[in-house]
Amino acid sequence: MSAPNIISFRDVTVTFGRSGGQPALEDVTVDIPCGSLTAILGPNGAGKSTLLRAALGWLPLARGEIRIGDAHPEHALPRLAYLPQRHAVDWDFPIVVRSVVEQGRYPSLRPWQRLGADDEERVERALAELDLTGLADRQIRRLSGGQQQRVFLARAVAQGADIFLLDEPFAGLDLFAVEELTHILRSWESQGRTVLAAVHGLELARRVFARGVLLATRLVAAGPIETVLADVNVDLAFRRARCIHDEAIRSAPPAFPA
Amino acid sequence: MSLHELVAAPFSYGFMRRAVLSAALLGLSGGLLGCILMLRRLALMGDALSHSLLPGIAVAWLVFGPSTPALFAGALFAGLLTALGSALISRLTRVKEDAAFGSLFIVFFGAGVAILSRLPTRLNLEHFLFGSILGVSGSDLRLAAAASGATVLAFAVFQRSILLETFDPIFHRATGGSGGLAHFGILALTVLNLVAALQTMGVVLALGLFLLPAVSAYLWCDRFGRLLATSVAIALAGSVAGILLSYHAGIASGAAVVLCLGAVLLLSLLCSPRYGAVARLWEFLRERRSVRHAP
Repeated sequence: MSAPNIISFRDVTVTFGRSGGQPALEDVTVDIPCGSLTAILGPNGAGKSTLLRAALGWLPLARGEIRIGDAHPEHALPRLAYLPQRHAVDWDFPIVVRSVVEQGRYPSLRPWQRLGADDEERVERALAELDLTGLADRQIRRLSGGQQQRVFLARAVAQGADIFLLDEPFAGLDLFAVEELTHILRSWESQGRTVLAAVHGLELARRVFARGVLLATRLVAAGPIETVLADVNVDLAFRRARCIHDEAIRSAPPAFPA
Repeated sequence: MSLHELVAAPFSYGFMRRAVLSAALLGLSGGLLGCILMLRRLALMGDALSHSLLPGIAVAWLVFGPSTPALFAGALFAGLLTALGSALISRLTRVKEDAAFGSLFIVFFGAGVAILSRLPTRLNLEHFLFGSILGVSGSDLRLAAAASGATVLAFAVFQRSILLETFDPIFHRATGGSGGLAHFGILALTVLNLVAALQTMGVVLALGLFLLPAVSAYLWCDRFGRLLATSVAIALAGSVAGILLSYHAGIASGAAVVLCLGAVLLLSLLCSPRYGAVARLWEFLRERRSVRHAP
């Protein structure tokens, strides 16, 4: 492991509600190498989304520290892009593709400032990179699931981020869209962008991601995906969450690819 | 009746000029706020909130008489009490937030009606509930101008922040926007405009001026900026038409404005080329036919 770490979690503990409550994450210490494609894995309630939100600096840490590069998350906001879960978006909102991608430029503008030529160009480039130029004037409901996903990825690209935090990006995508997204993530990896994604399906994670972080409130394993998803680790993570079907999870092919 | 008698002559009266100016000013801000309330699914909460202002207004009237600042302060107090009270109830007891809000506003409204019906005043209860074109004083007009101006200014300066907080609050906060401020700002502006709309629209019907134009515009527009512009245009047209209808037909001005805006909504619901009932039904029937004939 030669690449420097871009995100470091040190003894990160997050509790539900006020401090002293049930921990959602406990003493998680893990490093995310720069330019890696990393899946966050674990059963429901293992703290996958919590880890992403903590990295964005939205959750108060009961203990521990998170550093993005050399900075506290608050100072690294422009570098971070977050992709919401599909169901968190109102697809009937009166907005077209280009306007969503333009939102990526908003954080760098003062309230009364208009989008400049440089901003417009970044938006065009982001649209082109994610193959959305022809769809720029479509209302967002009138897109396929994969296209809708790409709109939000384009917004993240327009933002100029180099660290992408994706919450269940594969959920609800058809096979073709999964392939497409895989292709996009791989090309980002080759460009040196860092991707950290909460992923539900273990088989999918094996196919797409190079590295994994397996959680069950505590850290179970982290490193190359094959090592992380060794049977002994999967057993540990899913049994700790009192999942009685761990045998099935381990050996059977997943019913749904996403 | 000539066109002049129908449209121009009523405005030779001072009260009519004040009423239509006040309605138009509030249509301007209401058309903007309504879009946000609709998109954030706060439509029903806004309606409940406007009902709950009544006891504050009634008590202020009882103590200070018809002074605009006192009425405004009373309404603001009642609105805050409802919002804080329901938050408190849902935290301290088993009752959920919506039920707490629903129960509290109806009790507040009842208390307001009770106080007003005991009030020894020339103005009757109906004016507070449904609005009256006779009631708009010079200071009411100034309040309407202030509320409208503040709202338009806020939308002009913070349009992007408002859009982000409405469309994707998580992204807004993730990129360093102050979501709480935007949310609270919208609610504060809503209360301010509801109070300002009290004389022309009444507490029961005030939200109609906000919501109906927004819902109508929602059926025609696929862009946020156009939604706001269309909503404002509908609100302006509806409020002017409503005041005229109120004058000629002798009906409460709130009801007249709401009926005019309701007609626009009905038209939009039926005729919108992409999202209207007729278009959708047509599409559905055509699809079914094509399925039946498929080999």
